[in-house]
Amino acid sequence: MNTKSMVTILAVTYGFLGILPLFLGGSSIYMRILTMILIWSVVASCWDLIMGYAGIFSFGQVAFYVIGAYSSAIFSVSLNVTPIVSIFMAGTITAIIGVIIGLPCLKLAGPYIALVTFAFQLALEPFLKGPLGKAIGSGGSRGIISVPPIHLFGMDFSSSELVPYFYLTLVLTLICSAVIVVILKSHWGTAFLALKDSEDFAASLGVSAFKYKLLVFAITSFITGLFGALYVHYVGILSTRMLSMEVFTVLLIMIVVGGIGQYPGVVLGAVVTVTMNELLRPMGIYRLLIMGGMVVVIVLLLPDGVTGLIRKFSFSRWTNKESRSIETHESNL
Amino acid sequence: MFIEILDVIISGLLNGSVYALMAIGLALVYGVTKAFNFAYGSFYTMGGYFAWVLLVSLGIKGGYYTVFLAAIPFLFVVGFFLEKALISPLRKRSDWQMKAMMLTLGLSLFLDIGYISVFGPRLKSLPDIVEGTLTIGPFVFMNQDMVIFILSITGLLCFAWLLNNTRVGMAVQAVAQNPVGAQIVGIPKDRVFAATFAISTIMVGIGGILLSQKNFVNPQASTGIMIKAWVITAFGGMGSIKGSLYAALIIGMLEAFVGYYLGMIHIEIAVLTLLLITLAFRPQGLMGRE
Repeated sequence: MNTKSMVTILAVTYGFLGILPLFLGGSSIYMRILTMILIWSVVASCWDLIMGYAGIFSFGQVAFYVIGAYSSAIFSVSLNVTPIVSIFMAGTITAIIGVIIGLPCLKLAGPYIALVTFAFQLALEPFLKGPLGKAIGSGGSRGIISVPPIHLFGMDFSSSELVPYFYLTLVLTLICSAVIVVILKSHWGTAFLALKDSEDFAASLGVSAFKYKLLVFAITSFITGLFGALYVHYVGILSTRMLSMEVFTVLLIMIVVGGIGQYPGVVLGAVVTVTMNELLRPMGIYRLLIMGGMVVVIVLLLPDGVTGLIRKFSFSRWTNKESRSIETHESNL
Repeated sequence: MFIEILDVIISGLLNGSVYALMAIGLALVYGVTKAFNFAYGSFYTMGGYFAWVLLVSLGIKGGYYTVFLAAIPFLFVVGFFLEKALISPLRKRSDWQMKAMMLTLGLSLFLDIGYISVFGPRLKSLPDIVEGTLTIGPFVFMNQDMVIFILSITGLLCFAWLLNNTRVGMAVQAVAQNPVGAQIVGIPKDRVFAATFAISTIMVGIGGILLSQKNFVNPQASTGIMIKAWVITAFGGMGSIKGSLYAALIIGMLEAFVGYYLGMIHIEIAVLTLLLITLAFRPQGLMGRE
């Protein structure tokens, strides 16, 4: 996708979301949904950048999100750091942990990375609930209650002030989306493309896979941690329930719906998924059943998500057909 | 003191032997089809529920004999058709491995929530396979533990025999070594993929029937079991069957000792630490090839 259409799709989507509070500002339910769409769209975009572009099978995205949330909560509750400072500290901590996890991981083959990062997420819950977590102030299985809201320009940004909080999130979302677009369109993005197509050839041209992958891992961890922190100051309470399979699957559905490695697609995926998740909420446990079934059906029927569907009916049909025939040819070899 | 340590060792051996059965199934399916099955743990729970429905809900005659006789064809059919319907259509694409991971993750959520909505969220207990204990001097062994250990070792030996001495097993090995070459000599590659997937489903399902007697049938256990089987497979070397056997026994022992001396909550952290250290020094796992 070229830069122009990428920016256009992003601008239209976020612009549309940005004017909605003018009409829906009075309804707290809609405002909550809109805010969650913004937060998840950035977290899912980071995952898409790692998995779809850099080609790292990282399954630790939810873990980084929770680490960001916990570190900001611990800084502001235990150490009395102002929330606006602590969310950036949380981003930095998450980036450092991301690099620590990334260093051994990125030398491994694809599936091992998925395994180690996923196991990391599973080990995080007993860590936070156990005595080690309690020692750093995670509050054990009770979690952290009464996280202070973000205080900026004499205003509180919290769950009681939904519209200001929404616009604060929107500003950060736009900045982070711009960072992602710049990464994708700079020589980094080209390097990733080259590494994905042929790692050996790219390496022989002097593209260092390890360096680029570690850098992108650090940047996406930072953004993910930042948004995790942003979220915790918004809801005010935090527990290890964030680490459940449910959150992980919802995030996965966003990427599956939007299409892997089709960048702005994942933003549309976040809009669709968060809205549907809220619409299905009255169905109780069947909501998750439907969500799980949806992943299976979409992966089978729409391998490139809605982006693939849109492209199928758009003008670039012919070029696409050509590239697809090359793809199938390659996989048959 | 000594008796306590012996108890811990027995529990480690017992868990390790069942883990070996499950991890070797996973090593096989990864080695042959290169598909990453994240729904593996859900088949473990499926085995547990299958036994519960037959034994407790329907109260069939013949106890565990009937359960095992019925479970093997049932799990085979489930595995075979799931592979045919869900995994094999993905193979046409170049990025199918990632798609397969995502699909099986969705499938695992679907199955786990499906169990809860059909059977309810409460744990189900299975009857013991045999009652009673065996006392030798100061040591007390539970007959049930011994039977579970013997059955899982028997399962492993059956599997080794199947892989090395039958035409099906040789076809599986040929596809694992070189899929294109196997196809040239006339081995139906797609059917071997499906059969391998089905065999691994049987192995984990049987593991579920064996271990659920001690740990209850729990719809939320799937993720833990799946990750454990994967950790053992990665620790032992992806696709290496012998490596998985040693890794399963080591992890079983580690779990038993950490659980006894430091508390259950540290088990996952200890296992992950062991895996990270191993992979840092030997990225291909204990017995894996580069």
